[in-house]
Amino acid sequence: MRILLVEDDAEAAAYAAKGLREAGHVVEHALDGETGSNMASSGDYDAYVIDRMLPKMDGLTLLSRQREDGDETPALFLSALGEVDDRVSGLKAGGDDYLVKPYALQELLARVEAMGRRRAAPASVNTRFQVADLELDVITRTVRRASKKIDLQPREFRLLEYLMRHAGQVVTRTMLLENVWEYHFDPQTNVIDVHISRLRSKIDKGFEKPLLKTVRGAGYTISDED
Amino acid sequence: MLRLLRTTSFRFTLIYVLIFTVSVSVLGAAVYRATFGAAERQTDITIDNEIAVLSELFTASGPGTLTRVIRQRTAWRDDSIYMLIGAPSGAVLAGNLTALPPEALLAEGSFFDFQFERPILDARGQEIGIETRGARGKVMRFRPSPDAEQSYLVVVARDIGAREFLRDRLANVILRVLGTTIAMGLVIGLVFSRSLLRRVETVNKATRAIRAGDLSKRIPQTGTGDELDDLSDNLNSMLDQIERLLAGMREVSDNIAHDLRSPLTRIQNRLTDSINADPETKDRVLRATLEDSERMLGTFNALLSIARIESGEGTGGMAPTDIVAIAEEMAELYEPAAQDAGFELTLITAPTPPINGSRELISQAIANFLDNALKYAVGGTKIEIKVEPSDKGGAVLQICDDGPGVESKNRERIMQRFVRLEESRTTQGSGLGLSLVAAIARAHNAELVFDDNQISAANAKAANRGLRITMVFPPVSDEPYRRNLKKPKQKTGVPA
Repeated sequence: MRILLVEDDAEAAAYAAKGLREAGHVVEHALDGETGSNMASSGDYDAYVIDRMLPKMDGLTLLSRQREDGDETPALFLSALGEVDDRVSGLKAGGDDYLVKPYALQELLARVEAMGRRRAAPASVNTRFQVADLELDVITRTVRRASKKIDLQPREFRLLEYLMRHAGQVVTRTMLLENVWEYHFDPQTNVIDVHISRLRSKIDKGFEKPLLKTVRGAGYTISDED
Repeated sequence: MLRLLRTTSFRFTLIYVLIFTVSVSVLGAAVYRATFGAAERQTDITIDNEIAVLSELFTASGPGTLTRVIRQRTAWRDDSIYMLIGAPSGAVLAGNLTALPPEALLAEGSFFDFQFERPILDARGQEIGIETRGARGKVMRFRPSPDAEQSYLVVVARDIGAREFLRDRLANVILRVLGTTIAMGLVIGLVFSRSLLRRVETVNKATRAIRAGDLSKRIPQTGTGDELDDLSDNLNSMLDQIERLLAGMREVSDNIAHDLRSPLTRIQNRLTDSINADPETKDRVLRATLEDSERMLGTFNALLSIARIESGEGTGGMAPTDIVAIAEEMAELYEPAAQDAGFELTLITAPTPPINGSRELISQAIANFLDNALKYAVGGTKIEIKVEPSDKGGAVLQICDDGPGVESKNRERIMQRFVRLEESRTTQGSGLGLSLVAAIARAHNAELVFDDNQISAANAKAANRGLRITMVFPPVSDEPYRRNLKKPKQKTGVPA
């Protein structure tokens, strides 16, 4: 993906850019809001990563202007302001996701990729997902592995659905809590891990190849690659 | 004094005094005209009539009869005054005036006022002095024929001394009333202004003191409950809020200094020491540093959240919220983790009206309680989440466990920042979880109570007293109208 990163802290930007490039993305970087705005208007990007507080033009203004001009490029806000109100104002300005600083590089990567994927294949179109021999049908709400039906609790189904929508990508615990439970707090205990291990025992247990994998220090991914 | 005259209340008083002065003047003028205006006109009419009668008499019967009639009339000794003078001789033919008043010479044919002297008589008719009295009259010249040389000057007048006396008295009274009105108005105005000024001055004094840095200063109230007391009350509430916010800010900076400086120092020392160390040590130091910085970030975020919740920001907006649904979702979220940790997590709910709150914050509070229960209810087996309506129409949220509980002497302390009880030293934690919950409770005007869990209190011989956390949310309708938005109650202790 071609990513525009607008971030005034050169060191933080270099760190993020390095991580994104290592994951195979092309990153262009602007140090202030005005430059960022010009680059966004003239360039063709697959995703924006914008810091909220920027010199010359703040991130919210930058993105609202792009949105007014009909620019639909998915955008993620980076911010040191992490309260609900801040998040809401970021999403209102047209942001697709919001990441509070400091963040783990993995979290940024996972979110940017999820965002880019969403754009490539709008969520509503796909109702059937398949990873190796694991199938999920959103309409009939059924899950099969090797044609054998697997019974899941509603929440387990939503968890698996989210993972499969982002198959091959890393999904972090926070992303799961935000998207499957729609909560934004930071649990101190391993609540998500336990849900994942329950889900795993239903879809992977008794099969030769595990599909739901833990990515150390980042989160989970569902894929048939090793 | 000058300040007093510039006050709003004094200006109002001046306007009132002016209005009253004008009203009293108009009223006085009306009374005056109604009584004396009419009497004056009456006098003039009577005099005119008398002259008409005398004139007819003169035309019909001549000067002799006129002289006789005037003599008769003067003998009546009433208020009437007559004088008949022959001209050009100037002989006084009849009348009870000793001399022709000088005003009469200039006022032929019209009314004139004059003074005359009258003997004062005692009860027996003895003359005991002379008094000067006011009178009003008309002088006319009668001629036997238009070209006759001989003519008669007739003066007909009325003694108006008594009336004049009354008129002076009335004018006097009206003027005095007017004077009193103005004087009283001014005095009352000054007194009012002064008392008002004094009360405003107390407000000013307090605010000056506060501006000078004494934030604990409050505006004294008189206790009458009037609008100024109301104003003071509102200002005081505002000051309470400001003081609380400032205290919060100060606490945050103190806390940051306390809890972030020491790990930062530790990191710095560690890094300095390991600059020249072997790769293996460096690796170990880096990992330790990473862990430290992660913990510090957690602490920092928690502190910021607390400060922002306490300042009323960061709540995500308060709206009617279904607390039962939140409890259900949280129970569902935590159930596997609880089971993993060897707890049975039960949810007990009764139909409960929505409360005015923030889904984000309430879920955060429940998560903190459950995280705590999983961490600290060592040896326990049960965690219960209960939601039910409160007596007052709000909602009661309870999280109970059968772990070791919290001793009553520590219940207040655990809500303070960075307080970690001895029992929990070995586990990880910032000591901010319950402070955050306390802030959330305050943001919701909810009461937060820690006490023993009654489930295990029943078998008291067990070492585990259990912990029961109760949050009582006020009813929705209550919220916007709460006049006393002072500190919401925070109680600890065992309810009866």
